[in-house]
Amino acid sequence: MVRRVLSIVAIVVTALLLQSTVFSQLRLLGVRPELLYLVTIVIALLEGPNEGAAVGFASGLSQDFLMNQPKGITALTLTLLGYAVGMLRQFITSPSPLLPTVVVAVGTAAGILFYEVVSLLLGNLDMSVTYGLKVALLTAVYNAVLTPILYPLLRRITERSRPRRVVRF
Amino acid sequence: MATRSRLRSTRLLVIALVSVSLVIITMDYRQGQSGPLETLGRAAQTAMAPLQRGADTVSRPVGDFLSGLAHLPTLQRQNQDLRSQLIEAQSQLIHDAELQVRVAQLQDLLGLQQTLDPGAVPAVVIGNGVSNFDWTITIDQGSNAGIQVGQPVITGSATSPRLVGLVVSVTPVSSDVQLLIDQRFAVAGRLSGSGETGLVTGQGEQDPRMDLISPDAKVDLSGDQPIEVFTVSYEINGQHGRYPPDILIGQVASVVQNTNTLETSVTVRPAVDFSALQYVLVLQTKSGGAG
Repeated sequence: MVRRVLSIVAIVVTALLLQSTVFSQLRLLGVRPELLYLVTIVIALLEGPNEGAAVGFASGLSQDFLMNQPKGITALTLTLLGYAVGMLRQFITSPSPLLPTVVVAVGTAAGILFYEVVSLLLGNLDMSVTYGLKVALLTAVYNAVLTPILYPLLRRITERSRPRRVVRF
Repeated sequence: MATRSRLRSTRLLVIALVSVSLVIITMDYRQGQSGPLETLGRAAQTAMAPLQRGADTVSRPVGDFLSGLAHLPTLQRQNQDLRSQLIEAQSQLIHDAELQVRVAQLQDLLGLQQTLDPGAVPAVVIGNGVSNFDWTITIDQGSNAGIQVGQPVITGSATSPRLVGLVVSVTPVSSDVQLLIDQRFAVAGRLSGSGETGLVTGQGEQDPRMDLISPDAKVDLSGDQPIEVFTVSYEINGQHGRYPPDILIGQVASVVQNTNTLETSVTVRPAVDFSALQYVLVLQTKSGGAG
């Protein structure tokens, strides 16, 4: 359990560091990826709604606090995103290797739109609808591109830290 | 049976987490800059700063290399342009030195004083904001070096400063700087040549806009010389503006066509390339000035 928490903390901190340093310079048409959305979606996909929601909440909260953003909105978004993707997992039976990529793309776009709407309602954000859509779409594409690279890595880390289950008949 | 109770516990967990998020949003919304959440956030950022610094040192060459690769053709042309500009500038410099002496003498004569003559703290950029809706950078100096919220941040040399932004949050070892392209940023600007003033506001990914220019002002972009935008100093009721005068904000890129005859608006291309920014100066003005 401790090991599991530690490995997830390490993932979240690394993602935040990468996003604020490397990916601020590697932009796709002016937009950077949202690594924590990706992490939340992938973990929810691998582990289910419980872990999805918990990891989403933790990573959203750390993004808000470590990066001096309006606090709580990312946490809310990622909690719901993790839960939704985790629940969705039960209905997906396709064994396609493209599946994580598609889920990450759709999930990221939906999550960012949700984030935009909430911050707009709170008056934290002032932007045009076209810019909002552009950011959501481009970030989704960017995250989707990164998924084939990061998905196997995240899967290995989570599987290694999973507590061994004893199967009884 | 087991699945049902597991489902219920998941639902409970999600409801709890969502409620906590909502409480945090509400608290943050109501408390602004001085609540316990802000303090907590500052502590977290203090811990994050050294990590960011490390990651930046490692990753910057990689990022520079990759973005350099993408810009290779433009770099070559830029190089030629810069060479010819250098020669021009060198001859200009000799002329300028004479002028400088003369200005200094005249200033002494008139007893003029700079309205603000602040010291400056140099700092290194160690991170950028992580969200797509926030145009901020993190620098490696904080309140230990005397930086306060509200101090202007510039880059370039002391003789030709260019505006970067404004300190919006400070920890002992790092500070966050809101860039002038941030949508919440605004600064009073003056056009070179005509001397008309207006309000420059950030527009995110697009170029900042300068509004409230008098409609009589003729902004003519067809001339040789680009029209530049500088900060203005002003004084209201004994309070100085936040920014020292004559810091370059950018160049006028286009005149906004609008039907509104009460003001002229232009777009301004910032003088600073924010993606390549590495060193900045924080001006030690006394805080408490207005925008």
